[in-house]
Amino acid sequence: MLKLFKTIFKAGEATTKYPFAPFPVSPGFRGKPELDAERCIACAACMVACPANALSIKTDEAAGTRTWSLFLGRCIFCGRCEEVCPTHAIGLTPEFELAVGNKQDLYQEATFSLQNCAVCARPFAPTKEVNYAMALLVQAGTPEAEVEAQRSNFETCPECKRKKNVLSPVKLPLGQHMNKGMPK
Amino acid sequence: MNAIDKPSNLFVPGSMPVPLKVDEQVAKLKKTLLKDIQRSAYVYRVDCGGCNGCEIEIFAAITPIFDAERFGIKVVASPRHADILLFTGAVTRSMRIPALRAFNAAPDPKIVVSYGACGCSGGIFHDLYCVWGGTDKIVPVDVYIPGCPPTPAATIYGFAVALGLLDQKLKGTHHVEGEDERVAPIFPGIPLDVRVQIEREARRMAGYLHGRQIAEKYLALLDLKTPQELNARIQQYLAQESDPRLTEIFSRLHAISSAALG
Ligand code: SF4
Ligand code: SF4
Ligand code: SF4
Repeated sequence: MLKLFKTIFKAGEATTKYPFAPFPVSPGFRGKPELDAERCIACAACMVACPANALSIKTDEAAGTRTWSLFLGRCIFCGRCEEVCPTHAIGLTPEFELAVGNKQDLYQEATFSLQNCAVCARPFAPTKEVNYAMALLVQAGTPEAEVEAQRSNFETCPECKRKKNVLSPVKLPLGQHMNKGMPK
Repeated sequence: MNAIDKPSNLFVPGSMPVPLKVDEQVAKLKKTLLKDIQRSAYVYRVDCGGCNGCEIEIFAAITPIFDAERFGIKVVASPRHADILLFTGAVTRSMRIPALRAFNAAPDPKIVVSYGACGCSGGIFHDLYCVWGGTDKIVPVDVYIPGCPPTPAATIYGFAVALGLLDQKLKGTHHVEGEDERVAPIFPGIPLDVRVQIEREARRMAGYLHGRQIAEKYLALLDLKTPQELNARIQQYLAQESDPRLTEIFSRLHAISSAALG
């Protein structure tokens, strides 16, 4: 009998204190994906990657907005969205206490504005995405003034750009990889 | 009368089933039960066609480590003993009637918990031809526990929310873009093509999510100061992690960045 108590005493208590104390999750734990909406450019890469279709994007052309939406009730916490996000806007957190009574609380949404085409005035891409593409060109080595001078080109929808190019071909900056080896 | 016999709940081709409704009186009973629950809560688990991942986590929640039984939460073998019905799985066509039978067999007032991504919405199976896509398509649900599968700790938290012992933490959010929001590219100090090469190689070697995390870690170190300092930092980080796989990947990334940056 004494021996038994000794064994029990030695083994200690394995049961966690949760929910009376916080539960420490292991490193690399995949919890709730959290969007930093200010860093999101609404590029929809995460939506394309999401295997469970937990992420969806709705474009409202009339209102000129695009709404990003994460439905946690469908998320499988795979981290694909974190991997593909070009701006680190979305990432998995250690948050696991997600149970809700009201299904609406499982939706996390963000609305972004769309850029109107400089020629045909129809919305064609998120404003933030256009600005981000220009910032990337600057990072890739194009002088900022040159990029800024081309702004009206960037703010033109692909269709109008094509038409414009047929009528009066301009040398658009195609990016360093495509320009490499081209005659100066 | 058994509710599954009612025509409103029979399958009409081309339409969705109408979820069962809770009687007003039953709803009142449930409120009184929850307001002052002083006894154990018995759980019956209804598998509506999941992958069994959720079942495994439910059983993990009653192991000694998490020990849900210390709160009186006990898994029982019959719906007739149950206070809480735990629906897992995406509700396949063939499991709909058995699930409704289990629901009807449980005495009122009962709490219905929708467990896992499948239970909440159909999860990864939501658009399959043979699933109804979630528990709430067939019965009224009180609490949703998302996760694929939810961890045992999340399960215990979900039970506590269902029994009204803990408050719900998650709130729905809606951000609206502010004026003139701009996003700067990440790692502005590193040439874009070098960053792309490093990210590609790290993903090739470590797989998608870890590849990204390792590339990020490397780029964060690379962002700093002079080459000597960089070497020292990398050595220190690798010694701290002491993982030969990480060391191997880092040496490849380092070869790429030194070739490109000189
Ligand atoms: S973690 Fe996976 S399932 Fe969840 S939102 Fe991201 S990509 Fe989709
Ligand atoms: S990938 Fe990132 S930036 Fe693009 S829409 Fe998703 S969260 Fe936003
Ligand atoms: S939620 Fe995930 S773990 Fe649970 S049954 Fe569905 S697929 Fe399996």
